[in-house]
Amino acid sequence: MNNTTKTSKQRDDHIVVLFGMMIFVLVLMAILKGKTYFTMANLRSMIFQFPEYGVLSFGMMACMIAGGIDLSLVGIMNLSGVTAALMIKAGLPIPLAILAALAVGTACGAFNGFIIGSLDIPAMLVTLCGLEVYSGLVLAITGGPAVNNMTDAFKNIANGFVGPVPGVLFIFIAVALLVAFVMKYTIFGHNIYFLGSNKKAARYSGIDTLKTIVMTHAFSGLLGAISGVIITSHLNSAKSSNGSTYTLLSLLIVVLGGVNPDGGKGKVIGVTLSIVLLQLIANAFTIMRAPDTLKTFTNGCLLVVALILDVVLEKRALKRASRTIPS
Amino acid sequence: MKEKNKYAFLTSTQMILVYVIIAFSLVVGFRQPAFFSPATIITICRTGIFTMCFALCEMVVILSGGIDVSFPAIGCVAMYVPMYIVNRVYKIDSAFFAFAVAIIIGLLFGLLNGFLVSVLELPPLIATLATSSVASGGVVTLLGTREFTNLPSSLQAIYNTNLITYTAPDSGFTYPLNVLILVPVVAALLVSWVLRKTMLGRGLYAIGGDKNAARVAGFNVRKLQFIAYVFSGVFTGIAAMIYNILMHSATTSALMGDEMITIAACVIGGVRITGGHGTVLGTFLGVLLITLVQNNLNMLGIPTSWQRFVVGIVILLGTILTSWQAKRSMNAGRA
Repeated sequence: MNNTTKTSKQRDDHIVVLFGMMIFVLVLMAILKGKTYFTMANLRSMIFQFPEYGVLSFGMMACMIAGGIDLSLVGIMNLSGVTAALMIKAGLPIPLAILAALAVGTACGAFNGFIIGSLDIPAMLVTLCGLEVYSGLVLAITGGPAVNNMTDAFKNIANGFVGPVPGVLFIFIAVALLVAFVMKYTIFGHNIYFLGSNKKAARYSGIDTLKTIVMTHAFSGLLGAISGVIITSHLNSAKSSNGSTYTLLSLLIVVLGGVNPDGGKGKVIGVTLSIVLLQLIANAFTIMRAPDTLKTFTNGCLLVVALILDVVLEKRALKRASRTIPS
Repeated sequence: MKEKNKYAFLTSTQMILVYVIIAFSLVVGFRQPAFFSPATIITICRTGIFTMCFALCEMVVILSGGIDVSFPAIGCVAMYVPMYIVNRVYKIDSAFFAFAVAIIIGLLFGLLNGFLVSVLELPPLIATLATSSVASGGVVTLLGTREFTNLPSSLQAIYNTNLITYTAPDSGFTYPLNVLILVPVVAALLVSWVLRKTMLGRGLYAIGGDKNAARVAGFNVRKLQFIAYVFSGVFTGIAAMIYNILMHSATTSALMGDEMITIAACVIGGVRITGGHGTVLGTFLGVLLITLVQNNLNMLGIPTSWQRFVVGIVILLGTILTSWQAKRSMNAGRA
């Protein structure tokens, strides 16, 4: 009992730090550019941007908690985006196109998972190959140029409003709730955590590890496909190089959100907070007219800081635990 | 017993690679008889130089149980900064100076990687990803994105020094082989010697195989990890300067995306991604196969837009083959 309160306290530390950083960014922007930062228009533009990579990050989160990683997410995203785009151009109904895109994404993820699980190859390697294969497939299907000019109804998925609020926000919230539900209240979710903290123990305790790995990656592929539909609708174009910076970004988000890179630990709430935090920072850079590359630089530094912070927090928690146990 | 050893040798990863390379060459040569000419060898050497250099860096890091995805970014910085200084700050016409700056930059980033991985014990993939974005983001923010296509005359002199020049008899094209091909050759021999014959090399294998066992056996794990990343950084600096000389171009994004092909070349060559296994010869064969495939898909009549997909499939199959071999050898060890 004592032990569980300790670990939850340490988790809270992380979320408090995330909140602190958000407040820091907001205060800083209020001082520097208060008038342009805190406007409805700016808030709206932020909401339009983050669901794409936010949904992607949840996929990365699931794989990382399972002790792996999914570097092929951007490839899956573009492949399913192109699938949807081509089907809509061919005049098929939108729901059918979206379903096909989701099926393609899930199949790609399941393929990754099957190779990882059945042959015992590190996830990093397989998904790196997967990135090349899926991106190459997009290039082969489109022949190079982007697929443009979809119907207005499709464009409205990511560019439309529900009242004064952009519609994508609801998609993002729905996905976040779904992921939180799966991770917290289903056996599958619990198996993911178990697999990530100790693969051998998970196998000996009767968990079908192959099935869990395939399902985790299929789940991640599904999320990649959702974000593919969103980005295709948002940009009104699908090609192989969309969102090429999202791999690094989603890794950063997930690690900053408190997911342990070795697996077993991580929460949806932490990842969600870190998505919002990064969007706040990205937007601050845009408003300050700072070059995009400075953002890359800052993101790299943040990643290192987040990792070091985790190490420090963990050591402190361990110290506290070792001090209380003997007494 | 001897019979069994022979069988094991003939089905080892390296021999399978050799078969695949021969088969691929035969298929290409059957479709395009022009493939069998000294010109092909020279072209492959020319394009293979960089991949081989980077693959050596990557191999040493993977052997030690890590991974380095930051070398494209480090390489870009290491060729961009000296050219920036030469072209825009102070005109120093010295090959020594250019290489020295490149090496120092590589060294600094190698030290950063080593610090993050061995002292702070961060996961190597994420630590080097962070270094990568710090390096490329930082240099572009500070120095901007330009392309330098003029070499100072001392570097131009290296460019003009050729080892052999082959002139195709029918078309009159000349295929020069630059003297810089010696750099990866010498480096490969040196790395191979260090890995096999010195305590340092055996230590790298040891910490890659099992960190704790290596520590108990008396190896200084942190020091060895540091050495691996620093070697990778320094040699990346040299390789980047070679790229600059041969391609006549220094940009901030020229090498980006190369990490994929390089890691794949190592893995296909039998370097285990989990560390502790791999040879220079295997890596060389992996580089050779990938360079062959990349250069000659046109000759097989595969359209350009399909090439990335085909290369991806080849890499995926190579990865599967290698890990299947690893599994088999482990089972054989148990039996």
